[in-house]
Amino acid sequence: MTMNKYPQTFTDETRLADEPILTVKDLGVDFNVENTWMMAAEGVSYDIHPGEILAIVGESGSGKSMSSMALLGLLPRNGRSTGSARLLGQELIGASQSKLRKIRGNDIAMIFQEPMTALNPVLTVGEQIKEVIEQHTEASPARAKERAVELLRMVEIPDPEQRYESFPHQFSGGQRQRAMIAIALANDPILLIADEPTTALDVTVQAEVLELLRKLNRRLNSAVLLITHDMGVVADLADRVVVMEQGKIVETAPAKALFASPREPYTRRLLDAVPHLGSRVGGVLVDVEVVDGALQIHERYAETDRLRRQEHHDAGTVPALELANVDIAYPGRFRHPPTKVVHDVSFTINPGEVMGLVGESGSGKSTIARAVTGLLKTSAGRVSIAGTDITRLTTRQLLPLRKKFAIVFQDPAASLNPRLSIGDSIGEPLYLHEKLSRTALNKRVEALLEDVHLPVHFRNRYPHELSGGQRQRVGIARALSLRPSLLVADEPTSALDVSVQSKVLALLQELQREQGFACLFVSHDLAVVELLASHIAVLREGHMVEQGSTEQVLLHPQAAYTRKLLAAAPVPDPDEQAIRRNQRLALLGAGAAG
Amino acid sequence: MDKHTNSDSRARLELAERNLQTQDTEISTSGPTLDQVDQARNSGAGSAPRNTEAKSQGRLIRERFFHHRGALAGMALLALIIILAFSSIGFAGIPGWWDKEYDVLADRFNEGKPTLSLWPFSLGEHPFGQDVLGRDYFALTMRGIQTSLIIAFIVGMVGTAIGTLIGAVAGYFRGWTEAVLMRFTDVVITIPTLVIAAVMAGIVARSGIIPFAVFLGLISWTGLARIVRGEFLSLREKEFVESAKSVGAKSARIIVRHILPNTVGVIIVSATLAISGAILLETALSFLGLGVKAPDTSLGKAINDNRSALTTRPWLFLWPGVFIVAIALAVNFIGDGLRDAFDPKQTRVKQ
Amino acid sequence: MFYFIAKRTVISFFIMFAATTLMYFLTISSGDPFEDLGETSGPEKAAIVAARTAALNLDQPPLMRYLLWLQEVGYCIVPGGVQCTLGTDRVGNAVLPQLENAIGSTFRLVIVATVVALFLGVLVGIVTALRQYSTFDYSVTFIAFVLFSLPLFWLSTLLKQYVAIDLNTWLANPQLSYLAIAGFGLVAGLIWSVVIGGDRRRRLTVFGTAAIATSVTLFVLLVTDWFINPALGPIGILVASAAVALGWVALLAGFRRRRITYAALATAAAGYVGYLATAPLMTDPNWLIVLALLVTTILVSLAVGTIVGGPYAGQARRISVVVGVSIGLLVVADRMLQAYPTLSAKAGGRPIPTTGSESVNLAGNFWVINLDYALHLLLPTMALTLISFATYTRYTRASQLDVMNQDYIRTARAKGLSERTVLVKHAFRNAMIPITTLMAFDFAGVLGGAVITETVFGWNGMGKMFVDAIGNVDPAPVMAFFIVVGSAAVLFNMLADIAYAFLDPRITLS
Repeated sequence: MTMNKYPQTFTDETRLADEPILTVKDLGVDFNVENTWMMAAEGVSYDIHPGEILAIVGESGSGKSMSSMALLGLLPRNGRSTGSARLLGQELIGASQSKLRKIRGNDIAMIFQEPMTALNPVLTVGEQIKEVIEQHTEASPARAKERAVELLRMVEIPDPEQRYESFPHQFSGGQRQRAMIAIALANDPILLIADEPTTALDVTVQAEVLELLRKLNRRLNSAVLLITHDMGVVADLADRVVVMEQGKIVETAPAKALFASPREPYTRRLLDAVPHLGSRVGGVLVDVEVVDGALQIHERYAETDRLRRQEHHDAGTVPALELANVDIAYPGRFRHPPTKVVHDVSFTINPGEVMGLVGESGSGKSTIARAVTGLLKTSAGRVSIAGTDITRLTTRQLLPLRKKFAIVFQDPAASLNPRLSIGDSIGEPLYLHEKLSRTALNKRVEALLEDVHLPVHFRNRYPHELSGGQRQRVGIARALSLRPSLLVADEPTSALDVSVQSKVLALLQELQREQGFACLFVSHDLAVVELLASHIAVLREGHMVEQGSTEQVLLHPQAAYTRKLLAAAPVPDPDEQAIRRNQRLALLGAGAAG
Repeated sequence: MDKHTNSDSRARLELAERNLQTQDTEISTSGPTLDQVDQARNSGAGSAPRNTEAKSQGRLIRERFFHHRGALAGMALLALIIILAFSSIGFAGIPGWWDKEYDVLADRFNEGKPTLSLWPFSLGEHPFGQDVLGRDYFALTMRGIQTSLIIAFIVGMVGTAIGTLIGAVAGYFRGWTEAVLMRFTDVVITIPTLVIAAVMAGIVARSGIIPFAVFLGLISWTGLARIVRGEFLSLREKEFVESAKSVGAKSARIIVRHILPNTVGVIIVSATLAISGAILLETALSFLGLGVKAPDTSLGKAINDNRSALTTRPWLFLWPGVFIVAIALAVNFIGDGLRDAFDPKQTRVKQ
Repeated sequence: MFYFIAKRTVISFFIMFAATTLMYFLTISSGDPFEDLGETSGPEKAAIVAARTAALNLDQPPLMRYLLWLQEVGYCIVPGGVQCTLGTDRVGNAVLPQLENAIGSTFRLVIVATVVALFLGVLVGIVTALRQYSTFDYSVTFIAFVLFSLPLFWLSTLLKQYVAIDLNTWLANPQLSYLAIAGFGLVAGLIWSVVIGGDRRRRLTVFGTAAIATSVTLFVLLVTDWFINPALGPIGILVASAAVALGWVALLAGFRRRRITYAALATAAAGYVGYLATAPLMTDPNWLIVLALLVTTILVSLAVGTIVGGPYAGQARRISVVVGVSIGLLVVADRMLQAYPTLSAKAGGRPIPTTGSESVNLAGNFWVINLDYALHLLLPTMALTLISFATYTRYTRASQLDVMNQDYIRTARAKGLSERTVLVKHAFRNAMIPITTLMAFDFAGVLGGAVITETVFGWNGMGKMFVDAIGNVDPAPVMAFFIVVGSAAVLFNMLADIAYAFLDPRITLS
């Protein structure tokens, strides 16, 4: 496969010369909620030209998805759309369902965010590709099947003839999204709408799917409408960008111009909020150089760094957290052996240090976080908190130690008891461990709310009244209520919008500086970890791949997997991302050769 | 790994039951709700707090419940029936406004036909007529309603208490406890409720309606136990439960303070449905001659006693039946209203 | 699969064992087996007491009696020469022959009721889900709640007392006034208009069409004395076959591929030719002939589908078989209707029976006998069906709504698939997955309900056997009843799991 020989980009001038294939003018979407019409998007106007990739970016509630669903008449039943959207002169808004049905899957195709739920679980993948061909063409079943297998091959599914008969659950996440893409491309659409196509995927899989989309876009010359919240994905793929906020377009600009010099304050704020991998340590993978497509790794940089770190290693302090040769297994059931999810993991966090624990899904990072807080049993090894091994303790013996550590969870909606008031949630650890009086407890809760910059009267509110960011602040206040010496944060910001994420991260940094607790920060996002952590440990499928200082791991990683991970993470800068893309391809090439 | 690989039909029925309980919700694809829209607007954390008054979950549920027309109608109907039944002939020695007794034989007036007339409204001497022995059928029916209601509420309470306890313990502790309790539940489920009740009820009923009701409660907890267990299984994996565990909350505290309040909706809904089920079960048993025994009477027994007179005196058959249907229907509508009210996803979306 | 069945069988065996133990001790402690002798005295009493003591082993302690009963059951499981009787009742008769007599009518009732309730419930449930928050939806919801609240015995008695008697009287002299015909038309129009829905104009059109069609049909049926001599006849079958073929194509494939429509119509034609050719064979067949004809129908349909379907043979074959079997059912229905006058005359002009499960000493051909079964089933089935129907509609509605909100339905729409494909191919199968489990549970419930229905309608089924035995504190028949009911519950549970795995490829049986 030598797809990368296609021209890198068309120039913007050639694009604009073409007639647009889709012209959206003054598109509005409303929803009827409890008999009031709520605006989801209004005044949305843009053009898409043949072969162009147009990205619509925005945070949740910006109306980016709904305005795109409106194009195909796929709004939920309580939605309505106004304005105009013309596909090659043909009006889509208000068109009859039978007319839209001829366009859907044929002229305009869609890819959705969650490939597991977007594919019908009871039909084979092949059948789901085949039926869209049969629907829009006169192809016979045999011919449609041939075409479906061909499409599976095109999206690089190995063994397409056999996999044709597989069900969606037998595919991996990345393969499912590839199958979705095959369905979308089945009838060579003029326009492909990709709604958060990589959000549910791991970063290395995301890089592959993005690569595939780029390749197919060049080859088939379909235009792509890319809907995403991820600035890195935009930088990687988009030619032009539309920024939306609360249902309205804020700014439209070519991708390079937008990233280089955003005009609108909102765009600037948004871009500033996006963590940029390598911004703190000054680059990523600096020892990897691509010369004429060949890979060169400068070993000596790494060597000097490691020597420097050795000197810093001081002896004598009791680590806040120490894991020694830890194994964790989920107990097996009848006829099934236990499944081991963490193998022989060791690391140390000194008081006041922040350690970032990084890995993709299935790497065991959350499992470790739960084991450290005594929520899961380890099957071997030692977990010492401030010098005490907690793996051998009974529940009762562990109780006094629980004051020393606390955990913040990923999903702010699920981590607070919906039936307890905010005050009760925050006060529970204090009530359990310090047996305070009602008034003393209230005072402490109010102080904690102030610490996390929430108004004191939130004490009487309930979780459902709070936004995601506010709930996560409550989670942090609860975790810090007993002044722990170790905070475990399990993906605390991955469910939040970027602007909210940056504020929560700033809060965590501030509190960490003030209170000086050690922190185990679990995340899949290297850029976020870089902002907070002084040390990074990389996990893969339960094994520790690499650990070291943030500088060392980001600048001169030792393990091939770390390099792959670093190269796959997109950065919000089109030029840098283009270089990194080449770096990644070269690394993969080297990996395949070696 | 998929969580679907094991195939336990019971677990799936629980799921189906839960689905049934959320049937009127428009989920995910149905666009944002007011709440979500508000949240989206405020999602910039640290933005100015909304100046809305705090509403507890309880108040939201009450508001939703009182907007459910079916439930309100059910409440009104049930209240009316209860007031009618208890005020007319009195209860526990307190006399009511109706002057006839249900167990006094008298001459038959106008061949025992009902004297109730709706327009112009008048009760007459015997609004529901008289039975073959000349007893006032209005008083008898009211007495039957009292008994049936008392039995139904006791069954509801006992069944709910046992079901909740067994479901909660099995769902929370898992392991052997769960295996033993659930296999026990399986054994009881294998015997249809009507069958197990029929075998024993005749005997228990001889010692009065209270033991009879308690006995029916003892055998009608299985459905709720499975549902509560299902709820516990999913809730115990929730992060707020882990969060409580990580700060050292004990099992009892987690069950009572963290998990149980979140299953209260399901439990209350099941309790109401258990009550309407109990009304029907009691009448069915009494109909088979295996339920309430004289001198007590109940709606089912009244029908059974007068089966042979159906062609000649249909009112003897119709009146108790109408009240059975009315009570069960009212309770079912209340249950439906509660189900909608407790479901946090609930939004009525009008097209 | 095998491992799954084996494992489930073993577990079910132990559960059944525990349940029988519980049942047995409850039964024998539920009363005094000599209670009915309280008034009598003298030597007869002593004789009866002695006989009963021997038959029920009352001289043994309860545990011994249970073990003796287990031994009897053991003879039935383990073939070992000793005759399988499932014990004896208190008069000393073997239970198994009684059970064999009773089981047929009960299962006929329960299976027919379940199938009818399932079919109607699923159909109405899906329509209510598709017309969520419409008048139709609200009406069905209300009706379902009323049905949930109806005591089965009360409903059965009402049906028996009013519906049966009035229907019989009407059937003796089937006449309707013009006003009544118009009334039926209006009701039909109203129902169709709320089911189809749409804007006001469309609803009015549907209402008018349905009302007029119903009234005219009714009128024609009345003036042709159809209700006295009902039959479809050769012309009726011809029209119905074509309609059935087109209906199935519309539902399962759509008319876009001509070859499939042709295949269905060709099957209908072949079916009609078959109907004419087998007419002499069908005047008084037996089950073997009917079965053989069914197999032939399926084979011919497959062949027609393959030949006419061409490139679409796969789909054409499936539709052809469905069309072929449907026409077979039409022919059977036609034959049954033709037997009606004979049977009606034998029943003294009151053809809808209200007691018993079959007419005694009925002499007649295959169709008369089966029509007799069917007419006896009518009322009890109606009673049992109405109750289960409520459950099925509610669950199906919930399940269908749930599925319609899934992402893959949105995907299917985004692919530009027709609404028919989205509903039939993508939504229906997924919506049916939870219903399989419900069916298993409901079947056990209906078996329990059969106890009451049989009492009301005076059937000599298992329900009566059970109720009588309980009154007599006679454990063997009670336990025989329970073994059947419990095994059916356990078996249906297992079947539901297998069906579940068949419908949902994510489930592996292990």
